[in-house]
Amino acid sequence: MFSKYATKSPWLYRINTGSCNGCDVELATTALIPRFDVERLGCKYTGSPKHADIVLVTGPVTVRSENYLIRMLNEIPDPRVIVAIGICPISGGIYRDSYSIRGPLDKHVEVDVNVSGCPVRPQSILDGVAQAIGIWKDKIKQFHEA
Amino acid sequence: MAGFFKIAIRNFLNSPTTDPYPFGETFTPENYRGIIDYTPELCIGCNTCEYVCPSGAIRVREKEDGSGISFSFWLNTCSHCGNCGYYCPTDAVFNSNDFHTARHQSEKFIPTIDDGISYVQCSNCKQKMKRPVEALLARAYEEITEEVRHQTSLCPECRRMKRFERM
Repeated sequence: MFSKYATKSPWLYRINTGSCNGCDVELATTALIPRFDVERLGCKYTGSPKHADIVLVTGPVTVRSENYLIRMLNEIPDPRVIVAIGICPISGGIYRDSYSIRGPLDKHVEVDVNVSGCPVRPQSILDGVAQAIGIWKDKIKQFHEA
Repeated sequence: MAGFFKIAIRNFLNSPTTDPYPFGETFTPENYRGIIDYTPELCIGCNTCEYVCPSGAIRVREKEDGSGISFSFWLNTCSHCGNCGYYCPTDAVFNSNDFHTARHQSEKFIPTIDDGISYVQCSNCKQKMKRPVEALLARAYEEITEEVRHQTSLCPECRRMKRFERM
């Protein structure tokens, strides 16, 4: 009954895989302050991976966080959209080829949108979330047809 | 108390502080280090940008057919540090104000810039060489005379011979 309205408000969930906190700070500013209001796009942050629709991943997937990342991703229901925030999850960035990095992220899970930057500008994150919402609507449609 | 109401009424009459970005224009600082831009006309192919890039986003190589030097830039590993622009002797590489970095996964490995310079021929022996760039000549010489112009059209080998003959 509510599935028609639920497609208009995806819930965001963020995972930190050993990030330097730069991108996390930028994520917090896009959501929490009225200046870059991500709720205009209908999005809302959630604390539980079971409610997540769009997953924002930061950090280069370090050895210690790899296990937690996989466990967390297994809890997120389909259909989901994975957005890589910052150059670390996309390609490893300046940490590429380091001994303690198990990245990039698309080795572990299918990524849909990449938002590069070090750290990412809040406006770019909004861009990425807007793209992710488009992909998410397509996925929902396919999910209902299947 | 009166001060509080003053601020409250003023804020009530003001327009919203929300940045209208995805639906409207946004403000970008003048010195914002965004996506790298490249001017092939100024490039001398010295490889400095690749050497100073901490994340390996820039690749300067000789073209496969040997006709020049290629410059490619991969956005998805650039940390926007600005080293390339700082060390570029001719300001051919610089950070633009563009911040639109959100890309679809299918575009992940496509280089943002795939450009390059081509070699010129030495006026004496017709050998291929990197071409002279005005910006670098202006830095090296106080005034660019005809003799300097003639020497820049020669390859390093011919130039050495010419100088030796003069002695």
